[in-house]
Amino acid sequence: MKSLHFKDYFKNYLFDLEDFITIYDNNLHVFNYQKLNKLSDTEIVLKLINREVMVKGTNLKIKQMTKQELLITGIIMKVEFIYE
Amino acid sequence: MNKEKIIWVKIKTDRYYNIFIKLNNVGINIFDNKKGKDYLLIKTTYEDYQRIKKYLVSYECEIVGVTGLPKVTKIIHKYAFFTMGTILGIVLLILANNMIFKVDIKTPNGEIKTLLKNELAKYNLKTLRMKKNHRQVEKIVTQILDNNKDTLEWLEIKYDGLVMVVNVTEKTKTTQEKVYDNCNVIAASDAKIISLNIYQGVALKEINDYVTKGEVILTGNIMHNEEIKNTVCANGEVYGEVWYKVKVTVPFQEDYVFYTGKKRYNLNVKINDNKYAILRSRIDKKKIEEINLYKLNDFEINLVKEKEYVMKTRILSVDEAYQKGLKLAIDKINIKLDDNEAILVKKVLKKEVNDSTIYLEVFIATKENIGVLSVIEGVDENGSEFNKTSN
Repeated sequence: MKSLHFKDYFKNYLFDLEDFITIYDNNLHVFNYQKLNKLSDTEIVLKLINREVMVKGTNLKIKQMTKQELLITGIIMKVEFIYE
Repeated sequence: MNKEKIIWVKIKTDRYYNIFIKLNNVGINIFDNKKGKDYLLIKTTYEDYQRIKKYLVSYECEIVGVTGLPKVTKIIHKYAFFTMGTILGIVLLILANNMIFKVDIKTPNGEIKTLLKNELAKYNLKTLRMKKNHRQVEKIVTQILDNNKDTLEWLEIKYDGLVMVVNVTEKTKTTQEKVYDNCNVIAASDAKIISLNIYQGVALKEINDYVTKGEVILTGNIMHNEEIKNTVCANGEVYGEVWYKVKVTVPFQEDYVFYTGKKRYNLNVKINDNKYAILRSRIDKKKIEEINLYKLNDFEINLVKEKEYVMKTRILSVDEAYQKGLKLAIDKINIKLDDNEAILVKKVLKKEVNDSTIYLEVFIATKENIGVLSVIEGVDENGSEFNKTSN
């Protein structure tokens, strides 16, 4: 029988342990990122909890940046996850 | 976020991507950013600004703006006089709009005026006091009317701008018209009777009879066999032809107003019936026409059109002077006549033309009410009547 992982869901709900990415129009919102590894107008690389995300596009800019969230604007062409 | 002081920080750099990574490493929150030619503007907190200064020492950075409440405070500080003036102005405007500057009691009776002034003062309705609302005013009006039932019939209080207008109607003391037992209708002047309407009494004269001033036309004594059988108050309308001789002298020289065609425009401000011209008038003798541009309560701004005139003199011809004199004579008589009375005949009796004047004697016959009431108050020892004449 598959476990429902109530404990994990509850823990995540309380402490925001998981990361997630939302893309809409020309914006990309990253929640719970750890570090900004690389930044240029064509490529942005972010370190998440157990992976990296590479965003490729043109005219990429960081609109907002806090310790937990990041908002990228520009023409997004590709989002790629890199697992270690 | 809202509780923190949010500021705009200018960081001198042309390597934008590099500075972003450095700021991220230090853990700076950026809520907005703008790129300049050789600088980056970031919207961040004051605490983060302190951390930038602490950790990124190689970068020149400075605060260039504040947002939110601190921004408003800064603007208020910067324009302190203007802000204070505006606030003071608004406060004064509110005060002025809600204050009574003048109490105008609309009655010619001085006693009523004093009475109302005192009554209104009891309810704090006097100059330099705050206006009261409609409901309070209604209540005060009712109370004042209750307190002065014998003297006041109706009372209304309304506001006309800064003026409190009090309209009042006094209680009229009904006086019964005095009824006389015995009276005559007598002639007010020498005349020829042209119409006679008798309501009460006996006519002693007929139409086309000539009467002299004071002569009895209608008598209140009802006679029978030369004995007074009854007395009444004679009443009737007696119209007679009355004659006047009017003497008029008209000078040939006449002054008249001549408009030069020169016009000037000005502005005036009217506050509480006092007018203040904005520009100095350059015309001495002028006719003024005003057009209202703006009006708020007792405050008005008017456009003033000033038309220059000069007094000129002209010489009238004999005929013009004659016509003028005739008109003057007619006007002199017309002023005495009421709607039922009229001029019947006018004729120039004498005309003398002198060097500078013309002299006219004008005969005018009018149709006038000549009957006046004369009350018979008693009989003296010799049997003569004491009369009291009234119109």
